[in-house]
Amino acid sequence: MSAALQVSHVSKSFPGVKALSDVSITFQAGSIHALLGENGAGKSTLIKIVTGIHLQDEGEVMMGGIPVRFANPRKAAAGGLGVVHQERNLVNRLPVGENIMLDRLGAHSLSPVDYRSVHKEAERWLKLLELDVDPRMQVSRLSVAQMQLVEIGKALSLQSRVLLLDEPTASLTPNETKVLFRILRKLRDDGVAIGFVSHKLEEVFEICDKVTVLRDGHNACDSIDLNKLNRADVVQMMIGRAERISKKDARPKRDVPPYIELKSYASADGHRDINLSVRPGEIVGLYGLVGAGRSELAKALLGLSPQTAGQVLVKGRPVAIHSVAEALHSHGMGYVSEDRKQEGLILLHSVLANSGITVWRKLATRLGFLRDATVADHVGPILRKLELKTPSLYQTIGNLSGGNQQKVSVAKWLAAGVKFLIIDEPSVGIDIKTKAYLHDLIHELANEGTAILLITSDMPEMVDVADRILVMDDYQIKGEVENDRNYERVSKQIMGFIHGREAA
Amino acid sequence: MNQTVANPSIAADAPQSPQGRASALTRLLLSNEFGLAVLLLLTFLIFANTLQGFSSTFSLFTIGRQIGINTMIGLAMMAVIVTGGLDLSVGAIGACTAMFFGYLAQALGLPLVFAIPLAIVFGAGLGFINGITVVKSGVHSFIITLASMSIFFGLMIFLTKAQSFNQLPAEVPSFGKWKIGGLVSPLLVISMLMCVVLSLFYRFTTLGRSMLAAGANPKAAELSGIRTGHVITACHVLTGGLAALAGLMLTARTGAAIPSMAGQLGQDWLLPAFLAPVLGGTLLAGGRVSVVGTFLGAAFVQTMTSGLLLMRIGEFWILACLGVMLLLAVLTDKARQSLLRSKGMV
Repeated sequence: MSAALQVSHVSKSFPGVKALSDVSITFQAGSIHALLGENGAGKSTLIKIVTGIHLQDEGEVMMGGIPVRFANPRKAAAGGLGVVHQERNLVNRLPVGENIMLDRLGAHSLSPVDYRSVHKEAERWLKLLELDVDPRMQVSRLSVAQMQLVEIGKALSLQSRVLLLDEPTASLTPNETKVLFRILRKLRDDGVAIGFVSHKLEEVFEICDKVTVLRDGHNACDSIDLNKLNRADVVQMMIGRAERISKKDARPKRDVPPYIELKSYASADGHRDINLSVRPGEIVGLYGLVGAGRSELAKALLGLSPQTAGQVLVKGRPVAIHSVAEALHSHGMGYVSEDRKQEGLILLHSVLANSGITVWRKLATRLGFLRDATVADHVGPILRKLELKTPSLYQTIGNLSGGNQQKVSVAKWLAAGVKFLIIDEPSVGIDIKTKAYLHDLIHELANEGTAILLITSDMPEMVDVADRILVMDDYQIKGEVENDRNYERVSKQIMGFIHGREAA
Repeated sequence: MNQTVANPSIAADAPQSPQGRASALTRLLLSNEFGLAVLLLLTFLIFANTLQGFSSTFSLFTIGRQIGINTMIGLAMMAVIVTGGLDLSVGAIGACTAMFFGYLAQALGLPLVFAIPLAIVFGAGLGFINGITVVKSGVHSFIITLASMSIFFGLMIFLTKAQSFNQLPAEVPSFGKWKIGGLVSPLLVISMLMCVVLSLFYRFTTLGRSMLAAGANPKAAELSGIRTGHVITACHVLTGGLAALAGLMLTARTGAAIPSMAGQLGQDWLLPAFLAPVLGGTLLAGGRVSVVGTFLGAAFVQTMTSGLLLMRIGEFWILACLGVMLLLAVLTDKARQSLLRSKGMV
């Protein structure tokens, strides 16, 4: 019997990154198949290729033995492939029922919608999920967990032969998860092929029978029986590499009072009871999965989200920060954004404008006059030191490579001479050489006395660069790991804090 | 002149390859401003050689004077387009300011040295109301200024009972009629000076740079320590001040402050206000201005209008023609943006 969905030897590159390389996976009818891997391992890319959002560079996707290449997710759905994506895809202003039936409201675009039957059909799927909401209620009034269930209901209502679920339980309570699993088992018994992506290993072992692990865009294993493995095997495959000694030595500890300290800090974004301190010259890592609230914490600290409880101390003195301008000019704080193109740089403007923006105020005369030459004199040496490759300081920054753009988004904070720098995912979308260079730079900055908070989902990077690592999950700090550069030990401990103790 | 790139001569440490210079020249030749200047020159030469009376001293004087006024109107809109927003109330601010000035100078008999600055501050204040409302509410400036346009204009009509001030001090109308060297209107000179000032402002001041940064990418600017809210408010204040100046210039031209001088609700200003900067290459999405382009845009529009008028083409056809020009300019702007995006620059 041919597989319900088979991916064979698929490769996919994005500019500067090879996201998938020669990846294979086979989903059989009547089976629940776990797809595992760390952040950035390629799981989401794989799902996006299967559903026609991306097009693979090489390899094939087959359904029931026939090669398929869906032009878009709509076609994929029509072809019998249902997906629950990690991100919400509901129309907030429409009622629940219409969301579930959105692509089947009428026979054709102009046929009148029979709302009664739409809602009746939707109600059937809501009942199945034991979700007690009126299909006429607006989606925006649901809780996050309810929205997740509606999303699942939408996929179920397609009654597809293959159902892919990307972290479906991320926001569900144990009870709701139990209901979902009951339905999944029933679907499996009816012969549906189910793909299940989750970071919660206990769930994987509870419900899945096959497993494929991806690591750095490669198969760490391909469609093997889960009952032959134990948890340690799976974790080992996910984090990969047997003992991996970091290139960098542990740095000497400094016995100085912290530059910044949070005490029982809470934010309007939902951070609770955060205790954290960073000393001058120290690199503190903040690890967590996507959605754990790390970048949000950085932005809240910079004054973009109100503080609701606790204390923030800068150099031992309590402060209240209301704007980034205040954080920068009064407290010497800077933030290298993870989203270089949207938040880090002004792509339309020149290298000079981007690297000098933080110091305009400082360099200007009292009346606010400022010449380019003044800015160039100030940022020039820094850009030279970072070995920035640009034809001129007046080059539009959007024309530079990702690595060079990243250098500028760091350089502007060096220019400002910040004492506390938050660096968020510094190596997203940049080449290996620049990545190594940035790691050296971060160390150098710390050695010169800058307090650094490093946010990254890249475990090797974390182990390479940080002195100690705080683990964040669900907007709280779950634990702290002293980084002794023993990759296996450290990453296991981190995963342990995130997945509960069982993985450690 | 684009304020954000340009001037390779003071590139302190970057090597300037011959290719770099060649591409700078190419960029200049391909730039909006250059194209517009050529177009303006061609139009002018054609009209001057084919239309009788086009190049008479009087005709050149009135064209120049009107270019002066329209440039100022265009600059007023440009100052807020920088933020990616717009201000529909420029005409209303202009008319209100003119009436306020008329009240000060005629009814109160205040000397012009006080009346003029006070009127400009008044216009800037109306701009401040727009700006603070846009920033605090987070509503797009289109809606806010659509409302404020009616409010400003309505209040003005209520307070003035729609009565003109036509007994202004004699200096006002004579300033409008003054021909420097028998040809050039001082109104044109004022606008050209303002172009120089604004060019320097966007290039050499922190506030000007911050306006461009906040306009190009408010999120990134905010995260780089720019107080985006203040800066956007400042843009609206600048727009108000420039619109006020345009209103005063129009008062000088007509010799009186008339409530309907900018049309009902000040709507007559909207077409020139958008045409000049958009033709000139100011990005509607914000973040890049072309002061010189705005001047050239206004000059081109006025040359076309005057030429078509002399050809005895009906006024409505001229309006339609201007509308088509605006549409073409916006489409070009859009094409340029998608070109930038395809090169990953936006």
